[in-house]
Amino acid sequence: MTDQLVGAAPVAPPADPEAGAKRTARRRRWRLTGLVILGWLALYGVWEYGSWWFGSRLLPTPYEVLLSAVEIVESGNFLTDFSASVLKTFAGFGVAAAVGAPIGYLMGRYNYWRAFFHDGVTIAGTIPAIVYAVMSLIVFGLSNLGPILAVALVSAPYIALNVAEGIRGVDKSLVTMSEAFGRTPQQIRKEVLIPTIVPYVFAAIRMCFAVAWKVEALTEVFGGRNGVGFQIRTEYQLYDIAAVLAWMFLFIVFMLIIERLVLAKSEARLLSWRPQERSSAL
Amino acid sequence: MSTTMTPVKARRSTTEKEQETPAWKKRLTSDNAARVAALLSFFLFWVLMSALFERVPGPIEVVQRLVEEFQRGEVFGNFGMTLYRFGVGVALATVVGIAVGVIMGLSQLGRAFFESPVLVGLSIPAIIWSFLTVMWFGFGDLSPIITTFLTSVPFVIVNVAQGVRGVSRDLRDMSTTYNVPFSRRVRDLVLPAVTGYVAAGVRFAIIIGWNGVLLAEWFGGGGGVGYRARWWYDANRFGGFAAWVVLFVGFIVLLDRFVLDRVIQRAFRWRDASA
Repeated sequence: MTDQLVGAAPVAPPADPEAGAKRTARRRRWRLTGLVILGWLALYGVWEYGSWWFGSRLLPTPYEVLLSAVEIVESGNFLTDFSASVLKTFAGFGVAAAVGAPIGYLMGRYNYWRAFFHDGVTIAGTIPAIVYAVMSLIVFGLSNLGPILAVALVSAPYIALNVAEGIRGVDKSLVTMSEAFGRTPQQIRKEVLIPTIVPYVFAAIRMCFAVAWKVEALTEVFGGRNGVGFQIRTEYQLYDIAAVLAWMFLFIVFMLIIERLVLAKSEARLLSWRPQERSSAL
Repeated sequence: MSTTMTPVKARRSTTEKEQETPAWKKRLTSDNAARVAALLSFFLFWVLMSALFERVPGPIEVVQRLVEEFQRGEVFGNFGMTLYRFGVGVALATVVGIAVGVIMGLSQLGRAFFESPVLVGLSIPAIIWSFLTVMWFGFGDLSPIITTFLTSVPFVIVNVAQGVRGVSRDLRDMSTTYNVPFSRRVRDLVLPAVTGYVAAGVRFAIIIGWNGVLLAEWFGGGGGVGYRARWWYDANRFGGFAAWVVLFVGFIVLLDRFVLDRVIQRAFRWRDASA
């Protein structure tokens, strides 16, 4: 090893170490991208193998799913289903925030309410989503309100817990100072507490977004009259698995886009007054 | 500051305030009273809901159905079936999740390779897995097990990988310098440091896994809690469904409180003692 080092040293020109480092960095990047591609290829391979193993009726090949997705997109009426599902998800979030944020506020502010809500909220957070889905179906029957209720029930506990955490993290000296300068409780609430908890509400919403749209689709599968879940159930009943998977993948892509565009943008907008917090939160 | 200022009359110290509140008031605002009040208001809310919506079963009907289910002897068999499937699925998910998570956390190449499959796995809903597995493996034990495994394993992987990446860089570098063998590095450095993340991941996997096993049983129809709940749901007798929900949620809560919490506490004795 020392021989090599001694032998290599005189040959290398002075600028070489940096170029060598760059070369290694580039090679490393190439290897990383190569492995990412390899990961996708492995996924594709497993899928292809699976559809060969199970037969393409039970697990359609990726190509068949792609064809089916193109067909769905070309037919054009998927937009109405997507927008129905997305609207229901966001309506559910609205309800969850309207219920969960005040509960979280009480939990963070007063010991009594913390003891009052704590057990219920933690239990509500551990109940499986299917229970909520069927429960909202029982309450509302076949209607658009069912998915909204299910989304609200699933996300409200998280929002409440996060807001409580946020309230407890409020800078106590700010509150004390406002009190010392004779601010009214309303003013303190509006100027100190609410701005502090907005990021926590957003964090909670982003955290449950991934769960929420799945619950929304699940409730539609059980009893919806429109939306992606309804389409998935219809295709499943026709044993058209390619269409089921195509709807699902389109929905996943759509929801990822929504998450990136709508949630991230509106969060950045609402929190633009606090640049440090934002960069650490993202 | 307080020595020079005469105390304002309206502001009293907290001990003074506490001494002045009467005992009954203290008891009413204690934590236990709050818990009782929460239970009572939940109960009232339930009764109110069942009065408002005629499809929502009231507490009395649910208790009746519960007793009937016990008398018919449907409870323990179905529960055991679900528990077995759930247990195998979550155990598999934990083992595989820790293995893949450690690889993803330790090597950048491993992370690059597993990143996309895990991302895809995270975003596929449990219902799709249950549809697929029911068609692939039929109505036996296998489809709920596989559904539980597939829905919960990405969450374990993500948590463990995050924990491993948080392991002290210095210690990792040092063990590389001193040529500590990989197996010992994993056992003595990585695993103790990530126990918290593993526990969090497994806890999450359990929540997700319940959902998976219930869904697969709901559609798979080979016995179990999900199957039984569906049976009542299809019969349009929501009291029976609610009875199973009460049973199941009660079980989950007890498991969480008395088993998981204890296990986690035991696993962290070494850390909490030194802290």
